[in-house]
Amino acid sequence: MSSRPKAIGAGRRRGTMGRARGGWALGTRAVAVGLGLATLAGGAAGLAGCATVAQNRRGHLADPMMSLTGESLDAARHQKLYDTREGAAGGDGATAGGGCGCQ
Amino acid sequence: MRGTGLRTVGAAVLVVAVARAVRAQSTAPPAPLSPPSDTDILETLDERLRVESVTTRITSFDQFGHGYQAQGGPLLGPGSERATILEPQLEVVASQGDRLRHRLWVPVDFVTNASADAIDVVSNASRHVQAGSLDWASTYRLDAASDVTMSSGLHLEEPFRSWNAGMGMTRSFADGDTVLSGNLAEVLDWFDRFDIHGGRHGRTDRSSTTASVGVTQVVTPETVVNVNYGVTLQRGELGNTWNSVPLTDDQRGPEILPVERLRQAVVFRAAQFLPWNGALHLYYRFYADDWGLTAHSIEGELLQRLLPQLYVGALYRFHTQTGVDFFTTLANPNGSLRTADSDLAPLDSQTIGGKVVVDLPPARSVPALHFEFGYERYWRSNDLHTNVVTCATGYRF
Repeated sequence: MSSRPKAIGAGRRRGTMGRARGGWALGTRAVAVGLGLATLAGGAAGLAGCATVAQNRRGHLADPMMSLTGESLDAARHQKLYDTREGAAGGDGATAGGGCGCQ
Repeated sequence: MRGTGLRTVGAAVLVVAVARAVRAQSTAPPAPLSPPSDTDILETLDERLRVESVTTRITSFDQFGHGYQAQGGPLLGPGSERATILEPQLEVVASQGDRLRHRLWVPVDFVTNASADAIDVVSNASRHVQAGSLDWASTYRLDAASDVTMSSGLHLEEPFRSWNAGMGMTRSFADGDTVLSGNLAEVLDWFDRFDIHGGRHGRTDRSSTTASVGVTQVVTPETVVNVNYGVTLQRGELGNTWNSVPLTDDQRGPEILPVERLRQAVVFRAAQFLPWNGALHLYYRFYADDWGLTAHSIEGELLQRLLPQLYVGALYRFHTQTGVDFFTTLANPNGSLRTADSDLAPLDSQTIGGKVVVDLPPARSVPALHFEFGYERYWRSNDLHTNVVTCATGYRF
């Protein structure tokens, strides 16, 4: 029995190596950036229409359970868990790179 | 007798006179006072550094699995990715006056089989590694609605140096219902270049530039949501330099990656307070980069307060990603780009976990105390799983 492994992963790969070698064309990048910004702008516009909540009605929002990002050290160790085991780090405010050389 | 009577009358007159004087003094209007100053009303601001909280957390990652980039196995087969990591963290938050706030964060990693990807198989140079970072962020309140944050940090590791600096700003609107934020960050990494046999070949570097914008909105008294978009541009040596790739000529060759990577992500977060004194957190993230990798991550966490000082939580996360365009487990030796890194492969991953949190209110001479204990299990579809145990203690002064 041969020890040579069967190549895997090709089934879910997309595009060509040429694209990765040269990076995306400028137009494609611009479209991607534009899509991101449009998503954000759309979300902001949608949210801006929401009614104002008075300060004295925000008691539940002050509960530690309601923190969107959680305790900072807990968020940091979660980020480390995922960034070093998945190829999708960076991009959302947290920087990619910086330690261990595995990103 | 006559002398005695006169003395009695004199004493009586004196008593009456003193009594009248005292009464007159007590009914007289108070002397006019100078108006109180701002300092009298608000008290003198203390510009000295005042520690607000100290938090420590220790987390252990116990990892098992195999990947084709690692050499701890058959020549052309997947090698071991076994690793154990102990990560203590320290965070100190301090205020200086009413406008300035500092955050010091010190994470440290104690790693055994540090470079589980490959190099420990060919070199003992990093079998045991201690790595540490020092990050400092200062936030200045410009006015009631605006904050600006400056941050910088240093990461030290045996074959690795990294510096980072960043700047962020937040601006709130509608009485704090809407908060816009923007951040810029730069990371410079400078590290040893290895070959796949463990030899060192000088130094190499890379840079990572990140920009992000976000908006947080209070939607109802029980609901808050956040949307964030970020882009990261990386340039330089984007691998760890020692990952290997099985080749069709029955050898192993080095990983070959592009020298640039553009990464983008959109994140949506929501927190909903539940009527039975609980909270539901939802998270979705879409990621895409120009190496051909796209990913979706979705997460839900349910928190339930059992006592005024105690709540518990349960978490589930699912992540799916396509591989990069040039991922392979058996490459052509003449190919221009190739990687067998299991992190860059097509994969699904799941995380399930739970935690218990205790927050004790401050008592006489004792600050508020925070305790947390959690366990998570992370597993991937391409033969990797990690057990995570974490424990935190915090003091709120």
